[in-house]
Amino acid sequence: MNIPSTRLPAKLHRRVCLVLTEDAVLAEELLARKKLSTEVAGRLADRALLVRPGRIEQVLEELRKMGHTPQVINKPVERS
Amino acid sequence: MLATDDIDAWTTLARETLARYEVPLVREVATRLIKPRTPIADDELVDRCMSLLSNPPVLDRRIKDLPDPARKILALIGISRQPVWKVGHLITALATLGHSEGFAPVLALLECGLLFPVLPKGDAPVPAFEPWLGLAGTLHAKVYALPTVAARARGESLGLPTLTGETISTLTPRFADGLDWPLRLSVVWQLIAESPARLTQNNSLFKRDLARLQITDSLTGADDPLPAPDPGILAFFWAQAAGLLKEGDGDWIAAPFPLTWGPTLAPGIADLWSALCAVESWDPLTGYAPSDGGLSPTPTTGILALLLLARGDEPVTNWLDPQQIADWLWEHHPSWPGLISQNAARTRGRDWIEAYLLGVAYPLRLIEAAQLDGWKVRLSDLGRYLLTGAPEPLPAPAFPQTLLVQPNAEVLAYRQGLTPQLIGRLSRFAQWKGVGPACTLELTPTRTYHGLETGLTLAGILQTLNQHGMKPVPPAVADLLRLWANKRDRITAFASATLVEFQTPADLEAAMARGVVSVRVTDRIGLTDDGRDPDFQHLRLIGNRDYEAKPQRCIAVDDDGVTLTIETSQSDLLLEAEIGRVADPVSGDVPSVRRFKLSPTSLRRATTLGMTVSDLDAWFISRTGNLLPASGRLFVLGPTLPAPTVSRHLVIHLPSSEIADGLMQWPETADLLTSRLGPTTVVVEDENLSRLQGVLAELGIVLSESDRGTISRSMLPS
Repeated sequence: MNIPSTRLPAKLHRRVCLVLTEDAVLAEELLARKKLSTEVAGRLADRALLVRPGRIEQVLEELRKMGHTPQVINKPVERS
Repeated sequence: MLATDDIDAWTTLARETLARYEVPLVREVATRLIKPRTPIADDELVDRCMSLLSNPPVLDRRIKDLPDPARKILALIGISRQPVWKVGHLITALATLGHSEGFAPVLALLECGLLFPVLPKGDAPVPAFEPWLGLAGTLHAKVYALPTVAARARGESLGLPTLTGETISTLTPRFADGLDWPLRLSVVWQLIAESPARLTQNNSLFKRDLARLQITDSLTGADDPLPAPDPGILAFFWAQAAGLLKEGDGDWIAAPFPLTWGPTLAPGIADLWSALCAVESWDPLTGYAPSDGGLSPTPTTGILALLLLARGDEPVTNWLDPQQIADWLWEHHPSWPGLISQNAARTRGRDWIEAYLLGVAYPLRLIEAAQLDGWKVRLSDLGRYLLTGAPEPLPAPAFPQTLLVQPNAEVLAYRQGLTPQLIGRLSRFAQWKGVGPACTLELTPTRTYHGLETGLTLAGILQTLNQHGMKPVPPAVADLLRLWANKRDRITAFASATLVEFQTPADLEAAMARGVVSVRVTDRIGLTDDGRDPDFQHLRLIGNRDYEAKPQRCIAVDDDGVTLTIETSQSDLLLEAEIGRVADPVSGDVPSVRRFKLSPTSLRRATTLGMTVSDLDAWFISRTGNLLPASGRLFVLGPTLPAPTVSRHLVIHLPSSEIADGLMQWPETADLLTSRLGPTTVVVEDENLSRLQGVLAELGIVLSESDRGTISRSMLPS
């Protein structure tokens, strides 16, 4: 059992383009879409899809065309 | 585009500009600006200049010492509240004010550090101002004054004449609420937020954007004495100049609403007034007027027309006929008369002046208007505040409850309660349908989603509607908003996240318990809810990998050809997604060791997913440096090849390949042998064995039967 003061060994993966879905079925639905599947580099988990570097905007556009309204993290937030 | 009130940003810009001057130039500027009594070291010149530029009493003295034309330039910049001007416009304005010195006053201001050149991006040093002007082009080169410096010159006289007005007590002045242009800019802001616009190299609109901006239905204002032509296009360029739109990758996209769009009118209108002075591609009579390389007369004529209303000793409550303004400008403006249409020229530009004042300045609440034998105009309270230094008008009484949310998700917004702040906030989550006397908006999934994307929450949206609503939001509408907002949580896209990979699932659990990460991605990988770097005090970093870097070799294949050991320090995230397709994890290893095993099942899984042997070879080469191991090939290819056969053979083991060669070649023995298995082994059928033994005996070779059937060494020919 780790004592809280012990540092946990970990490796960082930076600048990752990632899509997380509500459930595995939704992930399957996205992968079944041909245009989306070409932008997906791999399936990290049932609900986690790795997007090819630099292709997140294309993925978002395709998701919106499918009628989805994805929450996008790491975009600037307005002040007012 | 820097906000005018962002003093720190302008100071930083001025410092960076000075830092690019070569030493002789910055010394020349410092000498004129600072007038030092003792020499200043080279490395202190910029700091000393910046220090003086934030010293109001000394600044006032420097401004007073300026030649008349240079002082008027600063005054014009101060009154316009627009820090950045094209040199050509400043020269044109000066010429209108009776000064034909051309570039000289601008140069004087540059040389004494009260004006700065807008330099191209990069580090190229500036040896002198003339070469910079030559490269940038005299007319279109831009200069800027620090807003704090230009403000000190606001009270200086421009030398404009005092046009005699009329006191007409019977006139009932009309004045706008000042919201028309903020509303129109918001409508265009929404258009651009949905679909960005792109400009040509000449800064003009492409056909597609021109068509959608030439809309008028949703832009008709509450009280337009003289509607402006192409209001959508004016609103676009105005929004661009005001910083409501920003450039990103060649497209113009929606930017956050400025902080000056607050709960009172004056700061927002001041912002729009300063931006108006930078709008060029629009004419009050003809509408969209893209530049053909020359300078548009609109900025200089417009500002001077309004300044003529702010005349010296005359009571500003007197009414002026626009013809008086047009007559004076017709006589003094160097280019405006030649650039307006022939129709407008017939009235010496009266129509142009009327169109500008009534179509732009009036809805902006800069002027009041009245009709008596045509239009009469005078500055409004807001106009006097911005143009004459009068006190800021008191804010209008607040009517916070100004919205009516209807059960069909339409919203009525009554203008008396609208403020720039509320307009900006509503624009983020509701679609403007009309901006007339009673504005209308519609709550839609797309707009709700956009509002959430820009940082609003569902609770915040409902709060805005309830706080400003005359009645609570109907439950059906609240449910709709909730439904649309929940849809957004079904998919979360991280554009650039930091994933934290732990060695064991237990470590990930511990990290989540400590709050290091909050989102579980796999059994060993997590991330923070905002995707940013975690708190490192709980972590010991054993690797750091850029997702965008090329995949590299990170797997060692054991001698058995099926066990794959991952070199953790070299592995990347894609490996996690890829390796599961071809191999299965080995359990029971220590945390620092990660191994996978190829098996017929795992490779069958890979082929079911569509991977061919070539694909597997390519993947193995990229990850291990070698092809799919032989064991793996066996698993993949075995089932696909023709079925092997089994049969019993008599095998002769020969002492050397030479003997085997001879037996296979000599017809006497070759005809008795079935096949050759290897370099020193041949096969003979049972029925031919004795005949073969006989033939070999004639050669002196004894072929004896044994477990291995060898030839006696003593019988070998020498």
